[in-house]
Amino acid sequence: MAGLSALAILAILGPLVAIGLILLLRSPRWSPYLALVGAVAGLCGALLGLWAKAGDAIPGTLVLPGLPNLPLRLIISPTTSLLSTVVAMVSFLVMLYAVGYMQEEAALPRFFAEMSLFVAAMQLLVLAGDWLLIIVGWELIALASYLLIGFWYERPGVRQAATRAFLTTRAADFGLYIGVFALVSQTQTSEIAPTLEVSGTAATVAGLGFLLAAIGKSAQIPLQGWLQDAMAGPTPVSALLHSATLVAAGPILLLRVYPVLNGSVLIIIGIVGGVTALLTGLTALAQVDLKRMLAASTSSQLGFMLLALGAGSPGAALLHLVFHAAMKSSLFLGAGIFQHKYHSTNFSEIAAKGGGRAYPPVYLCFVIAGLALAGVPPLAGFWSKDAIIAATFASAQAWLFTPLVLLGTLLTGSYVGRALRLLWPKPESISREVNANKSAVSGWMLTGLVSLTGLATTSGLLVKPIGQLVGQEIPENGLALVLGLAVALVGLLVGWFELIGSFWQRLAQGNFRLDDWLKVLLVQPVLLLARVVSRADGWLHSGVLGVGRTGLNMARRVAGFDSRLHGAVVLTGRAGLDLARLSRQTDERGIDRLIAWMVRNIRLLGGRVRELPSGLVHQELLLTAAAVILLLGLILISR
Amino acid sequence: MITLIIALLVGAALFGIGLYGVLSQTNLVMIMMGVELMLGAALVNLVAFWRFLHPGAYSGQMFFLIIMVVMALEMVVGFGMALARFRAKGSVEMEEAVELKG
Amino acid sequence: MILQTLAVAFFGLVAVWFSIVVFRTKSMVRSALALLGAMVALGLLFLALEAEFLGVLQLMMMATEMSVMAIFMVMFMMDPGGLGQMEMTHQKKLSLVAGIVGGLVAALLALLVDWGALVQAQNLDMPERQNYNLGMEIMGRSMLIFETAGVTILVSMIAGTLLAIVSRTQTTEGQE
Repeated sequence: MAGLSALAILAILGPLVAIGLILLLRSPRWSPYLALVGAVAGLCGALLGLWAKAGDAIPGTLVLPGLPNLPLRLIISPTTSLLSTVVAMVSFLVMLYAVGYMQEEAALPRFFAEMSLFVAAMQLLVLAGDWLLIIVGWELIALASYLLIGFWYERPGVRQAATRAFLTTRAADFGLYIGVFALVSQTQTSEIAPTLEVSGTAATVAGLGFLLAAIGKSAQIPLQGWLQDAMAGPTPVSALLHSATLVAAGPILLLRVYPVLNGSVLIIIGIVGGVTALLTGLTALAQVDLKRMLAASTSSQLGFMLLALGAGSPGAALLHLVFHAAMKSSLFLGAGIFQHKYHSTNFSEIAAKGGGRAYPPVYLCFVIAGLALAGVPPLAGFWSKDAIIAATFASAQAWLFTPLVLLGTLLTGSYVGRALRLLWPKPESISREVNANKSAVSGWMLTGLVSLTGLATTSGLLVKPIGQLVGQEIPENGLALVLGLAVALVGLLVGWFELIGSFWQRLAQGNFRLDDWLKVLLVQPVLLLARVVSRADGWLHSGVLGVGRTGLNMARRVAGFDSRLHGAVVLTGRAGLDLARLSRQTDERGIDRLIAWMVRNIRLLGGRVRELPSGLVHQELLLTAAAVILLLGLILISR
Repeated sequence: MITLIIALLVGAALFGIGLYGVLSQTNLVMIMMGVELMLGAALVNLVAFWRFLHPGAYSGQMFFLIIMVVMALEMVVGFGMALARFRAKGSVEMEEAVELKG
Repeated sequence: MILQTLAVAFFGLVAVWFSIVVFRTKSMVRSALALLGAMVALGLLFLALEAEFLGVLQLMMMATEMSVMAIFMVMFMMDPGGLGQMEMTHQKKLSLVAGIVGGLVAALLALLVDWGALVQAQNLDMPERQNYNLGMEIMGRSMLIFETAGVTILVSMIAGTLLAIVSRTQTTEGQE
């Protein structure tokens, strides 16, 4: 079986080879298909790895020759192969959709090469068995996401969004380095498995570092803002970014290092996740833009995953990660179709031009995926969310985590309900423009959307197999089931009838902006300091003026003495001048005349020679060349 | 014997081409290209002489290094001048450089 | 020996051909790249002449030098792509004559001079021995020359930078 599991490396190599071919051919016609073939190869590899590892407790390790004494390892365990399958599956379907979505773009080779790079880097990160490879993958997805968010770099604001995403995630990556250094310096090996046995202070430091990295990458409070700006990229990018790849890296990292995390770190993780789930849920509720709402919802759902981790149930977190990938990507693909049809993602503009029901299949998929996200049985989100609620019941901090998760579920229901309501206008208002625009939805896009929605619908059946596969207990609790469902339904109703006033609207719309906090915490103290310094400067200035004035007074006194000296000097000078006049007269009569005659003649000669050099470089060079050739000829004759 | 002659002929050809370039081009940078070619011809000759006449005398290779230094210096000074001239006149065409006339 | 002669002839022809291209093409960038080609061919020729260190040195130096040259081309030319078919030459006939005469005289010298007994390949040092000997030469007898060259490079670097920097007084005067 080891041989078969080694094929999982195809998951990385497939997209990589696709990049190579795309960049080699640079053909706008073929690059989408090349990327698709690469994604299929990756999917095959991931599935083979999964099949080979199903029911096999011992993880397969693939040692690649790296630097001397520093081999690079890939690990193919049930968990990693499951995650790799999810990544491959989602990326394949999104790629399928992108073929249709990007049809009219010019820079297709660039787009598909960047997409494939994104997928390959994510697979590397997922399958890495080595800290070195994790860092490489982590950095590469940051780079790829920067490139993809900035894909339409000529549009206003896009570059800033890309830069913001890159800088925020990169700043938080500092945590990853701290964590890795803490672990590696304790164990002297870069392989992941042995480093996870570290305990004590090093483990706490590493855990907090990893948490920081995950906060940045997964857009948790207080670094959540970049994710909404990242909507500036093409919609397939958002779909990929928000479901299985970029943002999922945070929970994946925390899942991998779960054994290192000790109790206090887990509580902090849970609190960060819970607060994020609440605040970004409120943000989502206040958004007026479909894609931005989905972005806020992504932060919120990732908060649930961290909450589950903090509650001590990695199984529930993994389950939600997998299901969320399918649900969120199908929501984004639906949003992308609306965007193509209406040329806008603003709720009111979509509604004015006919809304969701103008195109029933898409709206249906959107509704299914939305309900799944809200947690309505028997769709996928129901199972994972109930697992999370049950996990919080079982945790030691149930008093803290349970209200957080229930409120979060309520909010999820509300914003889903609100979005569905806003997309529901009457069919009479369908304008002609929309009908004419029907071609904007191609078969490629629908295939991707429907398949992903299908996944979101049916994957609820996979709860038990997944639990068995990764060997983690998926928590269950009858009370949690009922409570979760009740809260979700209430939320849906609240959202549908828009029972929320504008109380939160203004606060939440601004996304609890970090900028304001920065202003209070950093800018104002700096300004204060500047004012103090400037006042000190004033004192210094007047002091300097005082010194200057004393100097001037002294100078005046010295000047008086000086003028007396001056009179004496003038007397001596006059005598000297008389002497000089005498000697000049002798000079002019005799020596001067001779010199003048010589100068005149030399000038005449110079004037003649002056006509030879023209001042033009090439003509003078020609003279030089002639001289050189003359010299060579002399050598030739006299040899 | 024949190899030495071939190498020297290559050097002569490069020298001639470089000379033509230096004299015929109007652009300062193109003139520098011609100079580079002529220096390259010198390099070929030096290596050929070292290899076929005095392989034990490493001052030949030393000379090669010095010529290489001269090439680099030529680039530095030439580009420095080109930059200064471009800034002052907006062009590096040597036909316009008549203020060199004394 | 035959192989060496063939290699030298081949790379020599390539170098000559590229250097002709330098002044034949209208595009400045292309001529910089052609010059790079000529210099690379020369480097390979040196390798064929069993001067390994010098050959590699030539390859590395010229690769950077010519890329810098190409950048300057793009910066300073009104028309680096050569699209405008602008005439970039002057006194063409005179230069042609000078070039041909100069080349011919040099070639005649090469053919007519009696070069004496040649050294056979067996007597040549191995590459690592060559490097060692060159190092001894540089650090021994030719130390002074080498140091002078180094200082000259430093001086020209500083001078080049000074030429390249816009002096502050100049710009303010220009604005007034």
